[in-house]
Amino acid sequence: MAKKILKRSDLTKLVASVGKAGGAFVAPKAVANGLVEYVFIKKADEIEFDYIVPGKSFKEANFPQTEVVARFKNDPEGVTVEGVELNPPRVVIFGARPCDAKSSESLNSVFTWDFIDEFYTKREDAMVTITVACTTGDNACFCTSVGIKPDDTDGSDLLLRETEGGDFTVEAVTDKGKAFIKEEKAVFTEGKATPKERTIFEPRKLDVDLEKIGEYLKDTDHYEGDLWADMARKCIGCGSCTYACPTCHCFDITDEGGFSETERRKNWDSCQFDFFTLHASGHNPRDRQYKRWRNRFMCKFNIYPGKFKTKGCVGCGRCVRVCPVRLDITEVMEEISGA
Amino acid sequence: MKNLYLPELVTIEDITNEAPDVVTFRLVFKDEALKESFEFKTGQFGLYSALGLGESTFCIASPDTRKGYIECTFRKSGRVTGALAAMSVGDTMGFRGPYGNAFPIEDWKGKNLVFIAGGIGLPPVRSVIWSCLDKREDFGDITIVYGSRAVADLVYKEELAHWEERDDINLVQTVDPGGETPEWKGKVGFVPTIVKETAPKADNTIAVICGPPIMIKFTLSALEELGFSDEAVYTTLENKMKCGVGKCGRCNVGDIYVCKEGPVYTAAEVKLMYNDF
Repeated sequence: MAKKILKRSDLTKLVASVGKAGGAFVAPKAVANGLVEYVFIKKADEIEFDYIVPGKSFKEANFPQTEVVARFKNDPEGVTVEGVELNPPRVVIFGARPCDAKSSESLNSVFTWDFIDEFYTKREDAMVTITVACTTGDNACFCTSVGIKPDDTDGSDLLLRETEGGDFTVEAVTDKGKAFIKEEKAVFTEGKATPKERTIFEPRKLDVDLEKIGEYLKDTDHYEGDLWADMARKCIGCGSCTYACPTCHCFDITDEGGFSETERRKNWDSCQFDFFTLHASGHNPRDRQYKRWRNRFMCKFNIYPGKFKTKGCVGCGRCVRVCPVRLDITEVMEEISGA
Repeated sequence: MKNLYLPELVTIEDITNEAPDVVTFRLVFKDEALKESFEFKTGQFGLYSALGLGESTFCIASPDTRKGYIECTFRKSGRVTGALAAMSVGDTMGFRGPYGNAFPIEDWKGKNLVFIAGGIGLPPVRSVIWSCLDKREDFGDITIVYGSRAVADLVYKEELAHWEERDDINLVQTVDPGGETPEWKGKVGFVPTIVKETAPKADNTIAVICGPPIMIKFTLSALEELGFSDEAVYTTLENKMKCGVGKCGRCNVGDIYVCKEGPVYTAAEVKLMYNDF
C-alpha cells in the first residue's frame, strides 16, 4: 500500500485548519540570519525547511521558559492565593527532529515521577508532534551514538520523510497521530505509489559505549577523579548548554511583582550556575565549576537512564554547537568510554 | 487542576525568639478542614512562603504526635527568611508539604536513644525528641547532646531547661571553646568531643544527629569509635530545594534526590553516596 502524502503546498491548508480549530502551530522559522527556531507561526510560508535542528528544542511548548503557577494578592482585607488553571489549546509541532521528539519521553519521566506536574502533562497531552526525518546534519549531530536514528519514530505522533519532490510521506506512529490524520484528511492524501524519499542523513559515529559510561558513573570513587577538573576546566559556567538541551529540566520558583500583587513563576534555571545549590549558610555542595559540569554529565548518563529509565542525551548536538569555549560533551563521553 | 506549586495559607499563631536571628513560628492552617485533616510524619519538611517574596525550605520542627499545628524554626539569612522574620503573630504566610520521608520511630520501640545536634541543627532533631518523649514509655534511656558556638546561639532554651529538669533524660549541653559565659554551667568543647566523653552505650541504641557538615563528619567517627553501627545512626540531610517534589533538579547528591528519597538517611546510606555534599 502506498504511504499517505502531505504535500508541501498543502501546509497552508493545514496551518489554517489547525488555527481555525483553535490550535496553535509551531514550526521552524528563520528568525535571524542563520538562526532557525521553533516558533508559533500563523502562515505556512513562514516555515523554514532548510535546517539541521532549531537553536532550541521545542521543550518550551510544554515546559515554557517562564510560566505563572499562582497569583497572590495582599490587601487590607487579607491575603488571597489563586492557582493558575491551565487549559492549553492543541499545539501542533511541525518539523520536529527525532532527537527532540525522543526528549519528550525524558522530560515526561521527570515531571511525572510520583508527583505529577500538570503544568507539563496538560501541555503535553494537547501536543501533536509531527517529526521530519533528518536528511541533513552537521558534525555536532551524534544521535546514532546514543541509540537514536535520524528517522526514529519514538516520541513522534507522525513521522514525515521528505520526498525528492519536496513533499512528505506520512507514517502514523501513535493513536493521537492517526486521529490527527483523520481530522485533517483533506491534506493527508493517498497516491497510487509512494514517491521516492530523500536519503536519510548519517551522522558521525562516536567511539562511545553508553553502558561503560553508565558503569563508570555508578562507581562513586570516580566522582573524585581528576578527569572532571581536567576536562571541565575551561567551562565558564554560562549555562548555554542547559538552555539549549532538550532534556534539561531544572527550574526555579520565584515570586515576581510587587508585594500587593505577585505572580509565582516557574522559570528555567541551570545547574551550571554557582547560586543554584548555594545553601543559606554559605555552604555550597558544588562550589567549583567542574563539579557543576560533572553534575550535568551525571544527570545525562546516570540519573536519567538509571532513575528515570529514559535518555538523558539524545545526541542533538546543541550543547556542542553553542558552547563558547568548545567544551565538547562527546569528548568526555569518548574519554570515559576509553577509560 | 492539581497544582503542585500552590501553597496553602497558614496563620502565625505564636512566635518565639530562640537566639539572635533565630525564631520559631507556630502555624495553623486557615482552612478549617485542612487544619483537621493535615497529617505529617516526623522528619518531613515543607516549603514556607513569604507570599510575594518566595519560598524557603525548613523541616517541620514540631512532632507528629501534636496535632492541629506545625512549627518551624529558621535563621534570618536572606530575602525570604528576612521577610518571614519581620512578620507578627496573626500574619499570613504560605506552606507547601509535607514532603520527603520520615524517621522510622515505630521501629525504635524498646531501644535507647541518643540525640546529637549542633546549632540550628536542633530543630529537626527536636521534632524526633518530642515524638519520642510523647511516647516515653516505648523507649529506654534517652541522651541528648546539644552544642552551639556560643551560649546565645543555643535554640529552644526553655525546652532545654525543661529537659534538664526531667530525670528521664540525660541532657548534655556544650558550647565551643570561647563561646561560654561566666554563668555557663554546661560543658565547653566541640560536639564530637563531648559525645565521646558522654560515651552513650551503643548496645540496643539508635543515634539521631543533625548539625553542620563538619560536626556530622566528626560525630560519625566518634560514634563509630563508641561501637555504633552505621545502620543505627540516622541523620537528616539538607540541600537547597525549590520544588520539594523531585522536579527542579538541585537537591540531588549524585543520583539521590534528597527531597523525595530523603531527607532522612542512615549513616550507612550516607556513606554510599557520591561526594556531592
